[in-house]
Amino acid sequence: MAILDVQNLTKRFGGLVAVNEVSFGVEAGQIFSLIGPNGAGKTTLFNVLTGVYRPEGGRVLYKGKRLSGLPPERIAHRGVARTFQNIRLFGAMTVYENVLVGQHPSIRYNYLDAIFRTFRYFRAEKKARVRAHELLEYLGLNDRAFELARNLPYGAQRRLEIARALALRPSLLLLDEPAAGMNPQETDEVKHLIRRLRDDLHITVVLIEHHMKVVMEISDRVVVLDHGRKIAEGRPADVRKVPAVIEAYLGKGALEMIA
Amino acid sequence: MSDALIELLPSVLLEGLLLGCVYAMIALGYTMVYGVLGLINFAHSEVFMVGAVAGIEVYRYVGPHIDNPYALAVVAMLVAAGVSGGLAVAIERLAYRPLRKRGSTNRLVPLITAIGVSFFLQDFVRLIEGLWHGEFYMNYPADARMEAVHELPLGMTIQTKSIIVIVVTAAMLLGLDHLVRRTRLGKAIRAVAQDLQTASLMGIDPDRIIARTFLIGGALGGVAGVMFGLLYSQINPFVGFVPGVKAFTAAVLGGIGNIYGAMLGGLVLGTVETLGGTYLFFLTEGAIGNEYKDVVAFLILVLLLLFRPQGLLGRTQGDKV
Amino acid sequence: MTPGWIIAVIAAAGLASGGALMAWPRSTWPLLGVLGVLFACLSVRGHKSSRFAIALALLLFFIPAAGTENTFLFELVTQMGIFAAMALGLNIVVGMAGLLDLGYAAFFAIGAYTWAIFGSGQAAEFMSGSFPLAGWPYFYLFSALAIITAALTGTLIGLPALRLRGDYLAIVTLGLGQVVRVLANNLDQPVNITNGPQGITPIERPPIGWLLGFMRFIGLGDNPALGYAIFFYLLVLAVIGIVVLVNVRLDRSRFGRAWVAIREDEIAARASGISLTRTKLQAFATGAAFSGVMGAIFSAKQLFVSPESFTLLQSITILAMVILGGMGSIRGALVGAMAVTLLNIEVLKSFSDFLVDLRQSGYVLDLGIVSFNFANLSDQVEPAKYERMIFGIILILMMIFRPSGLIPESRHRLEAGSEKKDGMTG
Repeated sequence: MAILDVQNLTKRFGGLVAVNEVSFGVEAGQIFSLIGPNGAGKTTLFNVLTGVYRPEGGRVLYKGKRLSGLPPERIAHRGVARTFQNIRLFGAMTVYENVLVGQHPSIRYNYLDAIFRTFRYFRAEKKARVRAHELLEYLGLNDRAFELARNLPYGAQRRLEIARALALRPSLLLLDEPAAGMNPQETDEVKHLIRRLRDDLHITVVLIEHHMKVVMEISDRVVVLDHGRKIAEGRPADVRKVPAVIEAYLGKGALEMIA
Repeated sequence: MSDALIELLPSVLLEGLLLGCVYAMIALGYTMVYGVLGLINFAHSEVFMVGAVAGIEVYRYVGPHIDNPYALAVVAMLVAAGVSGGLAVAIERLAYRPLRKRGSTNRLVPLITAIGVSFFLQDFVRLIEGLWHGEFYMNYPADARMEAVHELPLGMTIQTKSIIVIVVTAAMLLGLDHLVRRTRLGKAIRAVAQDLQTASLMGIDPDRIIARTFLIGGALGGVAGVMFGLLYSQINPFVGFVPGVKAFTAAVLGGIGNIYGAMLGGLVLGTVETLGGTYLFFLTEGAIGNEYKDVVAFLILVLLLLFRPQGLLGRTQGDKV
Repeated sequence: MTPGWIIAVIAAAGLASGGALMAWPRSTWPLLGVLGVLFACLSVRGHKSSRFAIALALLLFFIPAAGTENTFLFELVTQMGIFAAMALGLNIVVGMAGLLDLGYAAFFAIGAYTWAIFGSGQAAEFMSGSFPLAGWPYFYLFSALAIITAALTGTLIGLPALRLRGDYLAIVTLGLGQVVRVLANNLDQPVNITNGPQGITPIERPPIGWLLGFMRFIGLGDNPALGYAIFFYLLVLAVIGIVVLVNVRLDRSRFGRAWVAIREDEIAARASGISLTRTKLQAFATGAAFSGVMGAIFSAKQLFVSPESFTLLQSITILAMVILGGMGSIRGALVGAMAVTLLNIEVLKSFSDFLVDLRQSGYVLDLGIVSFNFANLSDQVEPAKYERMIFGIILILMMIFRPSGLIPESRHRLEAGSEKKDGMTG
């Protein structure tokens, strides 16, 4: 069964149709890529999936239950985590705190527990701290744990965003251009990381990416968007042969794909 | 009793229109600055107050030399426009521009600065007036010719000063409309309001345009100050606060960032408030009266922001992610 | 971390200024010295227990000892404490959660009226029963009740207001703050609840027989005025201690983290499962609660409340404290409250006195175009306090030159510290 089922999804901004009747399904355990030229509506689609925008038409099912129409925090509670294209960390908080914030839904104690520091408070905080360090270890950020997030170098900020998203214990992770602005070596690391997320943590990954090398190598399935419409879907090797895709990517992107 | 209410209606509406003129003129300053900078310029209420005070000084020092009260009113308005416009530019230059140049991302910083400027100006004017004249509660002098009453249809009456206020407001609004729509400056202001960065790429100097926007908004606020003084006479350094918040409400009512919205919002709010203040008193037989009219205006603001934040003439804008 | 010798210097300075204050309780310099040492205790890093001990020695020994000679000292520190609690509350709202609330004094008013109405004959105006409620448990019960009424009002005001974007929130809270004042001013009819602009007086104070007994025992006599000065001083200190503790604990819990997270990035916070409305309401209600309890204490201390104590100026005063100290910084809020209160009580008074002196001296200021003879200075100018001007300047200068305040928020240090235990901070 599809873990994520997108049905005829439409999002308009005034006269502009950013996402137009898009449908696809993501199977559990897949690495699923959304590609397309700039302005194709990929990030808008992510924003609809995570509740930042309300769709004008269609619906989104997650594990068979309706997701569309829910506010972002409810969607997060359901186990859908995301990163952002333009990194959105809590800059004035430490790296470590960022990951603690990511665990917000799973840290369970009430207001009075916090004021009186009850057993429940200590138990939950302890658990969260241990897990925060595990996650930072996993992403190689442990030695920067007490730096402010805004002081991290770019690549580390991207990894911290992933760590924060993982803190939510998601079954579905939406990554918006995780390799943007990275050098080839870092890009390679991101590629391996995404594979590990799937293989070690059994997380389904939906990916927006412009690095075609990454997309082609790790994706199980690819959907191509152009002007808000789905123009192709299939295995990476098949999608790259679709004429409409090559056309949409005319220019630098097209050469990169053919090469 | 309902007969009395209907009989009162025309004069209440006229009263509301006059108050609306003042609100509209102040609201323009809020809305123009919000348009280009996305900032609620809390100091604008003090720009208005300084205009009113500058008007008083004209009456004090020039008044004895000019016998024509109409000309005197015009001089007072011109001086107030100059002083308030200059003050608005100075505030922008000294307080807001350094923040902009630093490129702080914290939205609270300019807002808090604006509040600081507003508070500073209240006491600063108090100190200056206190040192200069030994008092800071002031009155616009009454002139029989300005108070002269004219008959209108429907049994309404209107005073000369009220006619002046309406005429001046209409002229200013038409002039502003022309400026924004037909001149190069107006085009540049609209461009900056639309997208500051793109505008600067197109060869527009945003600092200059922002300064001009403050100048125009401030000048309108200054004229509004004199109009306020002519209508209600009593002025003090703290007089800007309530009309300021009301005018901001008017700007939101019309759709913040939209100058026609500010004009419309000002007139609507002035009328609604005056109607509400009068009729609440009658309807509750004096239990709830005029003292609650500010509450009514604030409640309008809250409800408006909740249910129609884009205002009457505004359009919705989503946050960018 | 601060080297040990600096702590030793602070301790010595504390001893010296404390001793000097005891010797000359009415002189300004020892007082400034003591406040300076308290300030230092709040601003240096590390050595938590030594700093704490120094501050406690000053607050619980030297200042009370000098205060028995000059009750103004109690008054000053009590005032600082009341403002500090409010600054800490507002710091949660503005500093941590990033919500600009300009109507914060309203919650202080709610707390003050909660006790004022029932702790005076006022309640008899609209309900049956015997008022005022004198006797020992009532004041404390109503102080606790003030926490609840203020928090509830905060929630009520917050529900609509907190759905708005940042800058709109500022103007709406400003408006709603005024609404509370207008209500306090006008709810003397049709039913007389607040007694309108005249305010409510006298307000009952809790009985302090135990304290007077203790004072007799240590040879201070049993002057009730001094007794109440000491009582409110100690009460405010105790409440401040609790408020700081609650603040720190919330700050280091999922609640505090959620507040800062929504300040930093609302969209990312929501994507992490944080509900904006709930989190903002929690911040609003917590901030309101601190203000509410101090309102109740204030009304008992002053014996009098009126709508004029809860103006926009009050709200801005507290905002200036938070900004001066550093948004989001708990220690900053304390320092800001101390500094601004001192400014308000001491410096502005001196400025006023200065103007009076100028008038009496007949000094002539000659600026060429304008010359001004201070002998003509009106009475209207002289007694007036120029606090708006001072707060305005504080706000502007801090925003332009040091927006993070005197003691910037330092989550960095805080988390590292709580991880590794005292003294290992860096």
